[in-house]
Amino acid sequence: MKFLPLVWASLWRNKAESAFTLLALCIGFMLFGTMIAVNAAYEQAIDDARMDRLIVACAFDCGAIPLGYRDQLARIPHVTAVGAVGWIGEHQQDAQHPITVTFVDEGIRSAWPELPMTPADWRALDATPAGIFLTRKAAARRNVRVGDTVTMYSGPQGTLDGTGIYYFTVLGFIPDPPGWRSAGGGPSEIIIGNLRYAQNWGRPDERDLVNILRLAVDSPENARGVCRQIEAWYTNASPALYCVPARADAQELAEANINMRQISLGIGAAGLFMILFLCANGIAESVRERLSEFGILKAMGYRDGHIATLVILEAVIPTLLAALLGSVLARGVDALVAHLALTGIIEMPEMRASLAALVWALAAALLIALVSAVAPLYRLRHTDVAAVVAGR
Amino acid sequence: MSSELRQIVAVCLIGIGSLRERFATALVVVIGMACVVGVLTSMLSVTAGLARAYFRPEDATRAMVWGGRATFDQMRSLRPDAIGTILDAPGIARGRGGAPLADAEFLMWILPVEGFAAGSLQVRGVGPAGIELRPAFKIVAGRMLHTGMRELVVGVGAARKFGLTVGSEVRLRDGSWPIVGVFSCGADIIESYLVGDAVTVMAARRRAGFAQVIVQLVDAKAYPAFAAWLTGNPALSSVYVERKTDYDRRELGMNTVFFTRMAYVIGTIMALGALFGVVKIMYATVRARTREIGTLRAIGFGATPVVVSVLAEAALLGAMGALVGATIAWLIFDGREMWVWGAFQLRVAPSLWALGLTWALVTSLLGGLLPALRAGRLPPVAALRVE
Repeated sequence: MKFLPLVWASLWRNKAESAFTLLALCIGFMLFGTMIAVNAAYEQAIDDARMDRLIVACAFDCGAIPLGYRDQLARIPHVTAVGAVGWIGEHQQDAQHPITVTFVDEGIRSAWPELPMTPADWRALDATPAGIFLTRKAAARRNVRVGDTVTMYSGPQGTLDGTGIYYFTVLGFIPDPPGWRSAGGGPSEIIIGNLRYAQNWGRPDERDLVNILRLAVDSPENARGVCRQIEAWYTNASPALYCVPARADAQELAEANINMRQISLGIGAAGLFMILFLCANGIAESVRERLSEFGILKAMGYRDGHIATLVILEAVIPTLLAALLGSVLARGVDALVAHLALTGIIEMPEMRASLAALVWALAAALLIALVSAVAPLYRLRHTDVAAVVAGR
Repeated sequence: MSSELRQIVAVCLIGIGSLRERFATALVVVIGMACVVGVLTSMLSVTAGLARAYFRPEDATRAMVWGGRATFDQMRSLRPDAIGTILDAPGIARGRGGAPLADAEFLMWILPVEGFAAGSLQVRGVGPAGIELRPAFKIVAGRMLHTGMRELVVGVGAARKFGLTVGSEVRLRDGSWPIVGVFSCGADIIESYLVGDAVTVMAARRRAGFAQVIVQLVDAKAYPAFAAWLTGNPALSSVYVERKTDYDRRELGMNTVFFTRMAYVIGTIMALGALFGVVKIMYATVRARTREIGTLRAIGFGATPVVVSVLAEAALLGAMGALVGATIAWLIFDGREMWVWGAFQLRVAPSLWALGLTWALVTSLLGGLLPALRAGRLPPVAALRVE
């Protein structure tokens, strides 16, 4: 503690320069924090996708599979639940207001229990077939409240009566399901509807057709085997089926896109590299300008260890402070990145605040401070005290 | 040369000449700016590479005809019986033998090759004019497929990505199809696909319908009449016509809009960090040169040359950093193959070098402004007293 006044005084020797150094360090750590969050989001999206959840779709370019497959798949050994999912995506008022509704059946409750709907939500959806549940973001974007009516225009002949208009009643709001934000819906939002309504009110020629079936199996070890079995049995069916565990699907999705995991780490490293030199230069400059002060301290009896502590603290305090501030600011950038991800087909998982990002930032700050202090400490250690005090 | 200009040149040369003594400090600006420009150009090389894969020079005189509002390659909304009517439209160029230079095509996902991304492998069904529409198309191994035969050729991008070669087989709905050749097409996105005879592939998938007709117009001016004839034709219940360049822009935008925005956001954040770094470093520089500046002022040099010299030093260091960053990005990434729903080569294009240089110059000039003003305001007598 006795060193702190000395360190504090030296830190603010050149106020403007210290302030700008701190700002630059904050920005560097802010970028680092955001990149760690992006990386973690992709990792988390893959972790959230479970191996014991299977996705079954049409194998060869047919787009839809018969609802009748649902009962057949339920009889396969190790399959514990089967649910059907169908999407209808069009627009509300005009083409600038796209909307995609994910219609699910009762089987989804067990086949995709990660969908964050409560038993009461399911009961409400069952009792009101034209009801929908919106994720909070989807609701916020449309500014709707419980009880509101949402209309969707699905194109000419898109409905039983030929008008193409679906009328939905907002039943409530749900959190975003884990995993990719577009999973089961349009980018960044999910609107859950009742498959019964889509079947009864949709195009007659699309009745009894769904887009995918979701399966749950009794253990992750059986997932690949069940998938192989489904593909083998349905090879010559019309349509043939393709099956993939949800976790493998998430991994493949991450690999098919721009590899944001690798890129985020590269950018984070570049940010740290940038501030490493700034920090090292600041400490070196500080020590160079205060050689006589250190000489006097040594003459007063300060040992090399004490001097080293002073220099290290002078490096550690601003970097740790910048890491803390930068990590807080990174949350704002995270929100901006999430907002940017709303468009395009590069799918971006949900970014969440995590303690790990802060720990990484603090560890990086400590490392930068220590590396920055090495050269100045070496110089101090080989300084001739008498010469310095004499001003030579 | 006016007196003030001579003074500016002289003070700038003195400042730049003393950079060697301030090597470590100057290096911080160079490295900082190199990081900013390196990251920015590396990220934007993805967009530049994809742009090269989508935009072809001949696209300016081409049009796409879609069935209704289905404007994606994987759609099947264009009925085969509508193709003849579309080919009757005015303004279509003629190919070999006088046939319309237009081709009905589609893109189709096929089952993933074991160990690779699901659904990434696609077959492009092309017709007789499909190859003529792609002048860069060239078989580099094996042979060209025969029309009407159950065989495919694979683009060099897909071949590298999925380990496919002549003799490999892929599974379509009616069984395994052999790959009889490997083709290149001047880095066009089609190199990411398998190519098969459209009608034969359509028969195999047991689902009729094309995604679009790609049309070569006689010239760009022919487009309005061509589009009007198609959209007003009662024999075609619902078609959508667009210029090929609009389609390219749409496809490119979907693939890169998020990433491009991210590149600019990250570039701006890093530039902000570098800007604060430049301010700090240039303040330190002014402090280190206080006596020198005081001396110059005392012997008659004005404030403007001093201000300009500090700004020039900041700009020079920024430009050096930009060149270092762009060079590193170019060495590491230019020409490197990447896959984003298709194969393409990253490209650190000349425009990205220019962008990086501008980015760095603006950042370093802004960063040098406050220290430069301080240097210009230094009272000569006080500056000379500094130890």
